[in-house]
Amino acid sequence: MKQSQIKYLEEIAGQDFVITDIEDKICFGYDSTRLEFMPDVIVKVKDAGQISSILKFANEYKIPVTPRGAATGLSGGCLAVNGGISLVMLEMNAISEVNNVDLLVEVQAGAITVDVDKAANKYGLFYPPDPGSLKTSTIGGNIAENAGGLRGLKYGVTKDYVKSLELVLPTGEIINTGAITVKSVSGYNIVDLITGSEGTLAIVTKATLGLLPIPKAKASVLATFDDMASAASAVRDIVAAGIITATLEFVDNVTINAIEDYLNIGLDRNTGAMLLIEVDGYEAAVEAEAQTVKDVCGKNNCSSFRLATSAEERDRLWSARRAALSSLARVRPSTILEDATVPRSRIVELVEAVNDIAKKYGLSIGTFGHAGDGNLHPTILTDLRDKEEEVKVEKAIEEIFIKTIELGGTLSGEHGIGLTKAKFLKLEVSEDAYRLMKNIKKTFDPNNILNPGKLLIN
Amino acid sequence: MADKKNNHEIKNHQSSLKTAKVFKKGDDLFACSRCGTCLAICPVYKNTLDESFAPRGKLSLIEAVANKRIPFTDRLSKKIYTCTMCDFCTSECPSGVKVNELFAAVREDLVENKKYPEVLDYLKDKIEKAYNITFDSNQGRTDWLKQVPGTDIGDYVKQTAEVVYFVGCVSSFSPRSFSIPRAIVKLLKIANVDFTLLSEDEWCCGFPLLGSGMRQEVKTLAEHNIEAVIKRNAKVLLTSCPSCFHTWKHEYEKLTGIKAGFEIMHVSQYLLKLVKEGAIKPGSLNIKVTYHDPCDLGRNSGIYDEPRQLIKSIPDVELIEMASAKKQANCCGGGGNIESLDPALSAKIADNRAEEVLLTGAEIALSACQQCERTMGTALKKKKSEGGVKLKAMDVAELLLKSLESEQN
Ligand SMILES: Cc1cc2nc3c(=O)[nH]c(=O)nc-3n(C[C@H](O)[C@H](O)[C@H](O)COP(=O)(O)OP(=O)(O)OC[C@H]3O[C@@H](n4cnc5c(N)ncnc54)[C@H](O)[C@@H]3O)c2cc1C
Repeated sequence: MKQSQIKYLEEIAGQDFVITDIEDKICFGYDSTRLEFMPDVIVKVKDAGQISSILKFANEYKIPVTPRGAATGLSGGCLAVNGGISLVMLEMNAISEVNNVDLLVEVQAGAITVDVDKAANKYGLFYPPDPGSLKTSTIGGNIAENAGGLRGLKYGVTKDYVKSLELVLPTGEIINTGAITVKSVSGYNIVDLITGSEGTLAIVTKATLGLLPIPKAKASVLATFDDMASAASAVRDIVAAGIITATLEFVDNVTINAIEDYLNIGLDRNTGAMLLIEVDGYEAAVEAEAQTVKDVCGKNNCSSFRLATSAEERDRLWSARRAALSSLARVRPSTILEDATVPRSRIVELVEAVNDIAKKYGLSIGTFGHAGDGNLHPTILTDLRDKEEEVKVEKAIEEIFIKTIELGGTLSGEHGIGLTKAKFLKLEVSEDAYRLMKNIKKTFDPNNILNPGKLLIN
Repeated sequence: MADKKNNHEIKNHQSSLKTAKVFKKGDDLFACSRCGTCLAICPVYKNTLDESFAPRGKLSLIEAVANKRIPFTDRLSKKIYTCTMCDFCTSECPSGVKVNELFAAVREDLVENKKYPEVLDYLKDKIEKAYNITFDSNQGRTDWLKQVPGTDIGDYVKQTAEVVYFVGCVSSFSPRSFSIPRAIVKLLKIANVDFTLLSEDEWCCGFPLLGSGMRQEVKTLAEHNIEAVIKRNAKVLLTSCPSCFHTWKHEYEKLTGIKAGFEIMHVSQYLLKLVKEGAIKPGSLNIKVTYHDPCDLGRNSGIYDEPRQLIKSIPDVELIEMASAKKQANCCGGGGNIESLDPALSAKIADNRAEEVLLTGAEIALSACQQCERTMGTALKKKKSEGGVKLKAMDVAELLLKSLESEQN
C-alpha cells in the first residue's frame, strides 16, 4: 500500500490506531491455525462510522480488508492472505444493559464471549453458545463462524441467538437487519446469511443476542465403555429415550491415554471410549433424566459410571474432558484440529475410518468431541517441521473429509471453511450451489475486497 | 499459496536455530499452537488488547527472529519487556510451553544485543555500586529499625543465629513498606526466635537483574549472600519478599552450584510454624479479609495454603476468596520491571485487581509481599479518593501482629 493511503487511514482512525511496523504485523499475521500472512497495515477501529469510511476507501482502491476478532479461528479466517488492511475489532467491545424481560443484550462485535455471558449471569440469565475458546473469542468472530460449543445438542449454536445485526457492507453502507422480536418474517433472512459468512459478506459491528434463564439444576455423568460401539449405542439410546442432554461429549482411547499421561488421574488405559453427559433443567426432571441415563449406560455395558450433582463434583468429572485438547497438544509439537461432522447415527463409522486412516499413514490421531451433534474433533498429532510427515497429514485430512461426506456429513461443524478447507468445499457443495454462493458474494462485495481468498476460491 | 508460505517458514525454522539462548529452546518455541488461551489471562494483553503484547505474540516475535525474518529491534524489545512476569501464561498453557523460560532466555539475548530499556542500566548500576536497588548506602539496611524508639540494634544484628531474616531491598529502603519488617521482627521476638538480620552484609538478591536478562551479574550477589548466611551458622533463611524467596529457592543453586545447607522459608510459612508450635498465640479479630496470592509465592513457588492457614489461625477473622485465587490469581501489576517501564499500565493492572478485592466485601486486602501490598494499596487508595471505599492493604504478618496487639488492649 502507498504511504498516502496509510495517511488517509490515519485520518480516519487516528495515528495511534494505524500500525505498519513489521513487529506488529507479524503478531497480527497468525491465528490459531498457526499459518501466517502479514497484512500491510493494522487498523484498530472504534465505530461503524470509521469502518464505513475505511470500506468505501478500500472499495474504491480495491484494497483487501480482513476483519479480525481475537484470532482464535481454526480455519484461517482472519488471515490477510492478500495483504491489505487487518481490521481489528477488539476496541469495539461495549455490552449494553441486559433486557431481562425480552431476554436480550446488545453488544458490539469485539466483546469477548465470556463477558457477554457474565453480563447475563447478573440477571439469572446465560448466553448459551459456549465455544471452548469463549474466554478469548469475540462475538463478531463467533457470529462470523457460527460458533458452536459443548451445549449444542440442547441449546443450538450461535445462529440460534442472533436476533438482529448492525452491519457495514463492503461498499460502505451501514445497515440494520433482523428484528429483536421472538418471530420475524420481514423479507430475506439476512441475519442467518451473515451468521457463518466468515467475514466475507459484511463487517458485523453490533448484535442483539438472545439469552435464556439459567437452569435450576444440573447433573453430570461420566461413563466409560470397553469399546466405541457400546458408547455410540448408549448415545443412540439416550436420544431414543427422549432425553435431549445439554452436553453429550465423547473421548476416544487415544485421547484417554494422552489425558492419563498428562494428568495421571487414574483413568483406565484400556477404556475404549468415555462419555461425559450433562442434563439440566428443573431438579425433579434432572433427577429423573440422570436415572434414565444411568439405566441406558448400564444396558450398554458401561464399565464405570459416576454421577455428580454438586458444582465441585461436576468440576472433577469435567476435568478429564476439559484436558482433552491440552493433553493431545503436549504429545507432539504440532496439533491439527479438524471438525468433521456426521449424523449422530454414523459416529462409529467415522471414528473407525479415522483410526484406519491414522494406521494407513502411521499417524497419531486422537478423537474427541460432541457426540450428541455428531461433531468430532479428529486431532492429528504431528510435527509440521517434518516435511515427509506433513504430506501424510495432508493426505489423511483429505481422506477424512471424503469419508465424512460419504457418511452424509459436512466438512466443518463449527470452525468454518476459511482458508484451510476452501479447496475441499466442492466435495460437499454442487457446482450450481457454489455458483449461487459466488453470486451472493458478488452482490455484497462487487470488487471482492472483503476477506478475499477465503471460502470461495475457485 | 497459503500453505506454501507457511511451509517455507517452518522449513527454515530449524536450520536457523542459532546459538542465541532462546533458540536453543526451539522445540518449545514451536510448540506454541497460538490457541490464544494466554490472551484471556495475560494482564498486559487484557489492558492493551494488543496481540503484540500477548504471550503468543511475543513468542511469534521470538520465532520470527529465529527464522531471520527480523533482527532484535527496539520495538520488539519493548514488547518483550512489557511483562509483569506473573507467569499465568506458563501455568495455563495447554501445550505446556514454558513461556517464562523462553522469555527469560530472550531477555538475556536482548541484553547481549544491547536492546534493552535504558532504565535497566541504571538499575544494574545501582545494584553494582550499592548492592541494593536504591542509591542509598547499603549501611542504611537497618534504618527502618533504628527509627523505632528504644531499639538496640545489637539485639537484631548478631554474629550467629538460628535464623537469618533476609529483609529485601524494598522493605529495607522504602519507608512505605517499613511496617512489614517491623511487624516481622516483633513477632520473631515475641516467639523468642534466635534470629539475626544481615545488615549491610545483605546484598540485593538479584531478582531485578534476573528479570532484566542480566543473569550473569547475579552470580556474585548470590555467592555473597549464601556465604553471609553460612557465616551466621543459620539453619533457616527467612525472606518476606516472595521474589527474594523465589530467587533464593530456585535460582541460587543453579547460578552458583552451591547447595545451601540451610532451609529457605518464606515468612508466612515460618510464622505458621510458630503459631502451630504455640510460640505465637494469635488474638481475636472480628474482621473480613481477602488474600491476594503474590505471583512469586503462589504460582512460582506453589505456596498457597500456608498464608491462608496463618490468616485462619486468627480467631474470628473471616477469609473471603477473590473471584480469581491461588493458581489462577490475577497479578497485582507490580511484577517484573513494569512499574518502572510503564507505570500507567502497571496502575491499570492494579486497578483490575482492586476491583476484584472490592467485590469480596472484605475490609482488608492481605498479601504476603511488600510489592503487592504497595501496588494494591495505591490502587485501593485511589478508589478511596474516588469515593467511599474503606479498605486497606496489609501483609499477613501485620495482621497477625495486629491480632496480638488487639488482645493486649
Ligand atoms: C482452543 C480453541 C477451542 C475452540 N473451540 C471452539 C468450539 O468449541 N466451537 C467453535 O465453534 N469454535 C471453536 N474454536 C474456534 C474459534 O474460537 C471460533 O471460530 C471463534 O468464533 C473465533 O472467534 P475470534 O474472535 O477469535 O475470530 P477470528 O479468528 O479473529 O476470526 C474468525 C473469522 O471471523 C471474521 N470476523 C471476526 N470479527 C468479525 C466481524 N466483526 N465481522 C465480520 N467478520 C468478523 C474473521 O474475518 C474470520 O473470518 C476454538 C478455537 C480454539 C483455539
